[in-house]
Amino acid sequence: MAPALLIRRRMIDPIFQTDNYQLARKLLDAAVLRHEAIATNVANAETPGFRRLDLSPDFATQLKSRIAAGNFAQTADSIRPQLSEDQTARSIRPDGNTVEIERELLMMNRNVVEHEFLSEIVSRNIKQLKLAITGRAM
Amino acid sequence: MNPIGSINVLQGSPLQRTDAPLPKIGLPQATPNISAPSEGFGTMLDGLVGTVESKQAAAQAATRRVLLGDSDQLHQSVIAMQEASVAFTMMVEVRNKLVESYQELMRMQV
Amino acid sequence: MNLISGIDVTAGALNAHKTRLDVVAQNIANAQTTRGPNGTAYQRQIVSFESELLRRSVGGGLPLQSVRVAAISTDRTPGQQVHNPQHPDAGPDGTVTMPNVNLSYEMVDLITASRAYEANLSVVKNAREMALKSLQIGK
Repeated sequence: MAPALLIRRRMIDPIFQTDNYQLARKLLDAAVLRHEAIATNVANAETPGFRRLDLSPDFATQLKSRIAAGNFAQTADSIRPQLSEDQTARSIRPDGNTVEIERELLMMNRNVVEHEFLSEIVSRNIKQLKLAITGRAM
Repeated sequence: MNPIGSINVLQGSPLQRTDAPLPKIGLPQATPNISAPSEGFGTMLDGLVGTVESKQAAAQAATRRVLLGDSDQLHQSVIAMQEASVAFTMMVEVRNKLVESYQELMRMQV
Repeated sequence: MNLISGIDVTAGALNAHKTRLDVVAQNIANAQTTRGPNGTAYQRQIVSFESELLRRSVGGGLPLQSVRVAAISTDRTPGQQVHNPQHPDAGPDGTVTMPNVNLSYEMVDLITASRAYEANLSVVKNAREMALKSLQIGK
């Protein structure tokens, strides 16, 4: 069994274990989650006392430290993006609501482009692999 | 004229006889794959089958979670399905190449 | 199947703002109604929102909240009394009670509600585009 495991790890997984590919997958999770935060912020734009949500800042720092340490591909599963209240948002209304609709819509546009970019990276890796295997662009 | 005979003239020379046994060189033990090609490809195919199984199981699990509404990670389900399809394609191509080489071998005139 | 991210949150807000728009439109339409089905002048209606907790967000477990209409209540402030003896609904002293609808307030409400509705609509449109783009991965 051991030689088969070794060969399996040498065959397909190294291609799917490259840092860029796994990083793009993780960031795709984050982009989808960030959209959920933006949707909640826009829906609660007039709720008194509502504080806007965003991705937790420790997700980005954890990602960076894991990449720098070089063991990202193996431990990617343990880092999960999470939502939390945005502590840096200032309240511009007397009732404590920190949502600014224009900012939310701008961030949403940026998020959509980021999502497309990440999808493109993942797509390209997969298509390249398919091309290498079959010799035809499937 | 015997071409071999001209070589025999060199028998007495400091040069080694060409039919003397070669000294043993320590070859690295990675050669078993070359000495028994069917064995190496067999284990490779086993490994590929294992990979395909695990990737398809992951894809099915991700898709089922989306179908049941447990998760909204549509993109992970799509990516898992694509990875499973790539692994499967690789296995099919390896099998095709094996069959082709076998057929080529059979066609060779001994 | 929750394939479009955040759609339940956005749907709640869309429903709430649509109801508000409907009520404001009704107020504007009845700004001059001096005799309603109950015989008195039209009283403007107000929509009040409340937060509703929907579910926990994926991954972090942070509870997500949306808005919904809490109640559609009637504004009991008495309307203006206008002296107009020729009016069919004038009382014995010649005054007519007008509806307590202030058109400027209602127009501002209309614009605010429209903008909020459109903002939520663009959020859900973008979410759908993201989902469709995800389906194209690897193709």
